[in-house]
Amino acid sequence: MVTLDLAHLSVREANRRLRELGAAGDDVEILNPDAKHHIGVGLVHPITVKVRGSAGYFCAGLTHGARFEIDSNVGWGVGDNIYDGTVIVGGNAGAVAGVAIRGAEVIIKGNMGSRAGQVMKAGTLLCCGNASFMAGTMMYGGRIVILGRSGERLGEDMTGGEIFVAGGIDSLGTDAVETDISKTETDSILEFLERHKIPFQGHFSKVVNAGAKLRYTTPEPTLRNQPTTVAMAGGFWNAKTQEDIEVKAVTGRYRVRGYGTSRAIPHFNDIAFRRDILPDEGAVSKVNLAMELGSRSGAKPLSLSMPVLIAPMSYGALSRSTKLALGIASRLSRIAENTGEGGMIQEERDEAGQLIFQCLSGRLGWNVRDMQKADAIEIYISQGAKPGLGGQLMASKVTPELASIRGIPPGIDLRSPSRHPDVLGADDLVIKIEEFREATGYAKPISVKLGAGRVKDDIKIAFKDGFDFVELDGLQGSTGAASAEVIEHVGIPTLAAIVEAIDALREVGARKNEMPIVLMGGIKDGVDAAKAIALGAGAVAVGTAALIAGGCISCMRCQAGYCVTGIATQNPEHEKRFRTDVEAHNIHRFLESMRWQLAAIVHGLGKTDVHQLCRDDLVALTPEAAAITGLPYEARS
Amino acid sequence: MLDGCQHRGPDSTGFALYGAGDAETYRLRFYVGTGPLAEKSVQRIGDVLAREGAQLLSGERVGGSYAASVRHKGPVQKFAYAMEHAAKLFSLGHRLEIVKDEGTAHEVDERYHLGKVEGSHGLGHVRLATESAVKPEAAHPFWATGFSDIAIVHNGQITNYWKWRRRLEKLGFEFRTDNDSELIAVYLAKKLSGGASLRQALSDSIEDMDGTFSFLVSTETEIGYAKDRLAAKPMVMVETDDLVAIASEEVSLNRLFPGQALSTREPLPGTIGTWSRSI
Repeated sequence: MVTLDLAHLSVREANRRLRELGAAGDDVEILNPDAKHHIGVGLVHPITVKVRGSAGYFCAGLTHGARFEIDSNVGWGVGDNIYDGTVIVGGNAGAVAGVAIRGAEVIIKGNMGSRAGQVMKAGTLLCCGNASFMAGTMMYGGRIVILGRSGERLGEDMTGGEIFVAGGIDSLGTDAVETDISKTETDSILEFLERHKIPFQGHFSKVVNAGAKLRYTTPEPTLRNQPTTVAMAGGFWNAKTQEDIEVKAVTGRYRVRGYGTSRAIPHFNDIAFRRDILPDEGAVSKVNLAMELGSRSGAKPLSLSMPVLIAPMSYGALSRSTKLALGIASRLSRIAENTGEGGMIQEERDEAGQLIFQCLSGRLGWNVRDMQKADAIEIYISQGAKPGLGGQLMASKVTPELASIRGIPPGIDLRSPSRHPDVLGADDLVIKIEEFREATGYAKPISVKLGAGRVKDDIKIAFKDGFDFVELDGLQGSTGAASAEVIEHVGIPTLAAIVEAIDALREVGARKNEMPIVLMGGIKDGVDAAKAIALGAGAVAVGTAALIAGGCISCMRCQAGYCVTGIATQNPEHEKRFRTDVEAHNIHRFLESMRWQLAAIVHGLGKTDVHQLCRDDLVALTPEAAAITGLPYEARS
Repeated sequence: MLDGCQHRGPDSTGFALYGAGDAETYRLRFYVGTGPLAEKSVQRIGDVLAREGAQLLSGERVGGSYAASVRHKGPVQKFAYAMEHAAKLFSLGHRLEIVKDEGTAHEVDERYHLGKVEGSHGLGHVRLATESAVKPEAAHPFWATGFSDIAIVHNGQITNYWKWRRRLEKLGFEFRTDNDSELIAVYLAKKLSGGASLRQALSDSIEDMDGTFSFLVSTETEIGYAKDRLAAKPMVMVETDDLVAIASEEVSLNRLFPGQALSTREPLPGTIGTWSRSI
């Protein structure tokens, strides 16, 4: 047994040593832990770590295979997302104990705080004392065993899994119900207790999901579908409006659809370059478009051949073939791809040259193994299409394979929580990012994805919290599924978002591109990209445009699961229609057109580097665009 | 305790401390800064004190603050508002003094010699500033402006801030900042001045305040906490026969009991607690 003393070592250094000792197979004793955060985070070796005292937040978080024994208490999120392994806490645990565990044994000898086991997927969370409020909220699987009292609102909005309580249930949460416990289940718990030498005599009550909220009751009827071209044709009594009303007359609720806004909103078309641009066929070889992204904290940055990325879109919303095509196209164009919400698929990892791995509130598909395979890590706070809401994936797309990657029950109308279990403020976010950095040895850039709402406040927090870059998504951003109300009516336009973001960065004294803003939300080509960069963006990301290049017909039915092009579907018959190689090259060629447009504009304006583009190059074409951007409405040169 | 938690707020640190004091004297802590304008502020404070009929017993500049002991008879609210218009007033009370400034707990302690203060209870706070200018007046704790001896520290966000601020402003209360912590302080102080117990005032605050919050409040003789119904913000406490200590994280509590295993607990959602002791 090797001893590490936190009175003399930083947690960062101790964790580095832990990884080395883990690789060598040495058990470790940690002295003077002093309730410090992140002890043991990112350990993926089967060693035993004994913590002689109390640990802080995320002790044993993002680990795989290790055994942790903590003598005293732990802070929030003990065993966060642990893939497999054992954690034994001798004292009490703070809030969200066992958050998002994927399969582990987490044992709290004392009491545990609020929202324990939130979004857990598998494994056992045992509390020998009393649980607090909302234990098992939004859990997807696994079991929680509470020997004391349950606390209020037990199993709030749980989707799957089981909760067993021996000391009495204070109250049940929404959509949770008490049911009979089988002998097999009781025996299994007793075996578990015996194996961990926990004395127990008594009986258990069992709580599961009641099933009232797992599926929308009345499905949306299939009418003659009205695509985005109809929706945007103008006049508010258009055929799309009629379709919406007819569908709501059947379902009695909001509509869930995919794609982005279908209203005219001030956008990049409403600003222009103020000087003549003489296109030059050879512009690409005459200017520099390449950039590095994500070096602010000293991590290894992404290397982009041009300031363009593929926007985050999940395997789930999109078919496997589409994710592969995006990965291939991004590699061919030497840019970066992004996993989106649903976890990382191996082929996507193999195809994409550079891949950003996204962490969302439901922690679906999130795990330390894939974090270590990623080139950058991104925490999703919100997105332009639906700021403030969690993800949705309709049952028709939740196939058994997809459910297993995400760690959820198949065939449910999947909803992710609207906020992270363990990030409820800027101070929590600092601690969360630090956990990611620990789990990846400070080697990977960490970014944040933000939907445009209170952009100034959010960007200032992001800057303060040390993110390497920000992906900022305006109201025009698209989604795989959301209610039409939020798609159309929540958030601020992309154009306004970048202006506010740059103002915020100026106010806090950031240098240009010190924390680059990757702007997205309706970026349709290289001209939009050039305008965004001239307004201060570091780069742009394309989602919808890349999908259209890959065959999307803009029918706005991404949520339905029967996408005729094989893009937004998990139906193998439909997916067959998507020819991965062909579409990968279509997307690649579209990206290359963006490259040429960017180069032609940069060269045409007499510049040599894309980041020399600036506001002085732009003029507003409408009073609205002038008001939003502060650009001159009339060019007086 | 505060240096243990500095990772949550590296930019500014503040203390609300209840020293000996006496019922005849008010202690006033102003922030005057250290620049050339500081003397002018002190001068102006003296002028307004005289105009308000207050007798300045002593005054000294410590760090960026000006600490004055004064004798004043008459309504405290009118006097406090008048003094706040004279200079940035961080606290007023018979026993309360709020010291807050840029820097870490150790830096502020060194600047203001806080280690020498003796008293019965107090609050502290470390702040993460997302604006480039770290202003001392935006730091916590907040004094319940216009009321004697009431202070607050708060982690969270009150989402019906403007509703309550407008209500209180209509009743004649003034606010010095747009900070929601100041609102909670004034809200509680108003309840207390109307005869409510601290327990009652805190219980009411859970009904009336929307949003996420964990806050601590202190009066001349009591200390209390309130926590929102969703338990969104952290709070952990330890209680012995001699003391109660409440913090965001256990690391702060460990400072009081180095090397000991603590029996901590997390206050439940939507709950309050109060303790009282006098020296």
